[in-house]
Amino acid sequence: MTEDRFEELMRDAAHTYRKPPQPDLETMWKAIERASFGASAGGGSTHAGRSKPRGLSLVANRWVAIAATLLVGVALGRVSASLGRTSAQPAAMASMSVASATPAARSDSSTLAQPYEVETSRYLGQTAALLIALPSEARAGRADEQLASRASDLLGRTRLLLDSPAANDPTMRNLLEDLELVLAQVARLQNDHSRTDIDLINRALEQRDVLPRLRTAVADISAD
Amino acid sequence: MTRTVVALQTPYRVSEPDLIARVLAGDRIAARELYDAHSPRVFRLAFRLTGDADLAREFTQDTFVRAFGQLARFRGDSALSTWLHRITVTVVANAMRKVKRFRERETDLEDVHPVSSDGAGVDPVLRERLHRAIDDLPEIYRTTLIMHDIEGYTHTEIAEVMGVAEGTCKSRLSQARAQLRATLADLAPELES
Repeated sequence: MTEDRFEELMRDAAHTYRKPPQPDLETMWKAIERASFGASAGGGSTHAGRSKPRGLSLVANRWVAIAATLLVGVALGRVSASLGRTSAQPAAMASMSVASATPAARSDSSTLAQPYEVETSRYLGQTAALLIALPSEARAGRADEQLASRASDLLGRTRLLLDSPAANDPTMRNLLEDLELVLAQVARLQNDHSRTDIDLINRALEQRDVLPRLRTAVADISAD
Repeated sequence: MTRTVVALQTPYRVSEPDLIARVLAGDRIAARELYDAHSPRVFRLAFRLTGDADLAREFTQDTFVRAFGQLARFRGDSALSTWLHRITVTVVANAMRKVKRFRERETDLEDVHPVSSDGAGVDPVLRERLHRAIDDLPEIYRTTLIMHDIEGYTHTEIAEVMGVAEGTCKSRLSQARAQLRATLADLAPELES
């Protein structure tokens, strides 16, 4: 009887537990074909919208994206160097400017290649600024779309950095992975988000000790 | 779309080893045939393991991209399906470790695994408790249980996919079931053995 009842439950689970939907095989194939056989594959310009895989899009656009972010980072660094510190910048961004302006003076013993260091430095500063501002902005119900959009942008950059030499250092990698999770949560905040959503994010930040580690990383990379 | 249906309904015109050889030579049609033949089950497995359609799509795509990229390493010691499912389980396990913490929290809030109306004979509360108990199993137990009891893989297949002995696989399934029984015991005392 006991076994029969349990078997009945398990048979039921086979039909009800995470019942798979019908997959869109054609859309998935287009993404696979693009990634595996090149951009010209099967009229590959047809984008799969949300089904476009993160991994594949990274493979496809990785070098272009890295080159673009590095160019922006270097350009900002040079601008920061010429302007010096500006009081109008948020504290985190100011520290980023210093970090961006100094790589030329650093020794070759740095563990990160300079362009990656510049981009990592900028990224950490901007992420710190976002996460520090998050509780008050979210509590006030302000700028949810902006928050989500900035988080989404930072999330993309997190993933690029995770696939770059910047993530060779285990400590940095762990931090980037935790930031990836937190930013994913922030990027998913909706206009009608509940108090609980914010609490969950805050709890994640606290449990993983994210902000102190982030500040330390910003300070370390600026001091190099 | 028509092509998909045809490919699923008709057996290969050429053998799977021949298709693999053609894919290695850069033949996209052969790759598509392999994809059509194996992707539905890969997707099912990915979905059962993640409970999220978007993730399942992403992991299915990752599986095939990796498979096509590493096809030269496939030596044919096991069936291609076994090799693909091994990649799927690895892809899912690696990725889900990253998101597990948040998935668990989200589960508390929004119940991401809506209970199907199928199987009307089972108490919905008991069913829901069972689903959550499966979610809460340690990864290796959960994967084994899902593959065997939910997706119908044999112990031999699971052992090959997971790279363990068949006895290990049976032992894991037994442990998984014991944990489920223990979890459900307060709702269904007769399950407590």
